[in-house]
Amino acid sequence: MAVRIISDILIAIGAIFALAGTIGILKMPDTYSRMQASTCVATLGVLGVTLGALLYAVFVMGSAAIAIKVAVIGLLILVTNPIGSHMLAKGAYKAGIRPEKKMDVDDLGRDFDE
Amino acid sequence: MPKTKFPAVISTFLLCFAFWLLLTWSFALQELIAGAAVSLAVALFSARFFIHEKAFWFFNPAKLFSGLFYWLCIFPVELIKANLDMAGRCFGGCKKVNPGIVKVPVELKSEYGQAALANSITLTPGTITMETTEEDGQTYYYIHWIDVTAPSGKEAGDAIKGTLEKGLRRVWQ
Repeated sequence: MAVRIISDILIAIGAIFALAGTIGILKMPDTYSRMQASTCVATLGVLGVTLGALLYAVFVMGSAAIAIKVAVIGLLILVTNPIGSHMLAKGAYKAGIRPEKKMDVDDLGRDFDE
Repeated sequence: MPKTKFPAVISTFLLCFAFWLLLTWSFALQELIAGAAVSLAVALFSARFFIHEKAFWFFNPAKLFSGLFYWLCIFPVELIKANLDMAGRCFGGCKKVNPGIVKVPVELKSEYGQAALANSITLTPGTITMETTEEDGQTYYYIHWIDVTAPSGKEAGDAIKGTLEKGLRRVWQ
C-alpha cells in the first residue's frame, strides 16, 4: 500500500512538471525559449512517470519483464532527447529564425553570420 | 571512412547483446542464438561509427564507477535544480527570461567526454548546446541560455556546467 502511494506521488510530480513545460511551450516569447521549456517535459516529466510506473511494476504487479521495459523506455528518452533538441535548435538557427526581441548576447550570430 | 577494428566490434557486440537480453528478458537457447546473430551483424556494420577511441575503456571498474556516480548522483541533482527553476519560470507567467547565446570554453579533451557534456547541458532545462567549434586546439560550445547572468567565457561556463564538467573529468580525463 505504501509503495502504491509513493508511485502515485511520483506520477503526480511527473504530471506537474509536464504541465509546467506545456505552459512554457505555449507562453514563452521565442522559438528557443519554447524549446527550453519543452525540456522540462522530457526530463523530470518523463522520469517521474517512469519511476512511478517502475515501482508499480516491481512491487504491485511483480513483473520483472514490464519493469525492465519501463526502465528502457525512460533510458531511451533520456539518451535520444538531447540530440533531437540540439539538432532542432541548430537547424532553426541556420534557417534564419531569430527572436523578435533581439538577444542581448548572441555569440553564434556574431561568429557565423558574416 | 575509418576501418572496422576487432576490439571495437567486440565491445559494440557486448553492448547490443546486453540490450537484447534486457528487452527480451528470456534465456531460452533459441532467443540467445538469434540475439547473438543480430548483435554481431549490427556490430560489424556500426562499430566503426560507434567507437573511435579505446574500445574497452568502460570495462575498467574505476571508470565505470565514476561514470555511475556521475549519472546517478551528480547529474540528477543538477537536473532537479534546473527543472525546479524552469518550472518556477513557467508557472510565473514566462516573463522572467533573458535569453542569449554565450560561447564557453570546454576543458575535456576526449570525444566521448565532450559528447556527454554537450548532451548533459542540453538535457538540463534552461540550456541547449547549439554548436561546437575548435580554435587553436581549444574547444568551444555555443550555448543558448534562458537567463544570461554572466558574460561569455569562463564565468558563464562555470555557471552553466561547472559541476557537470568536474564530474565528467573523473570519467574521461
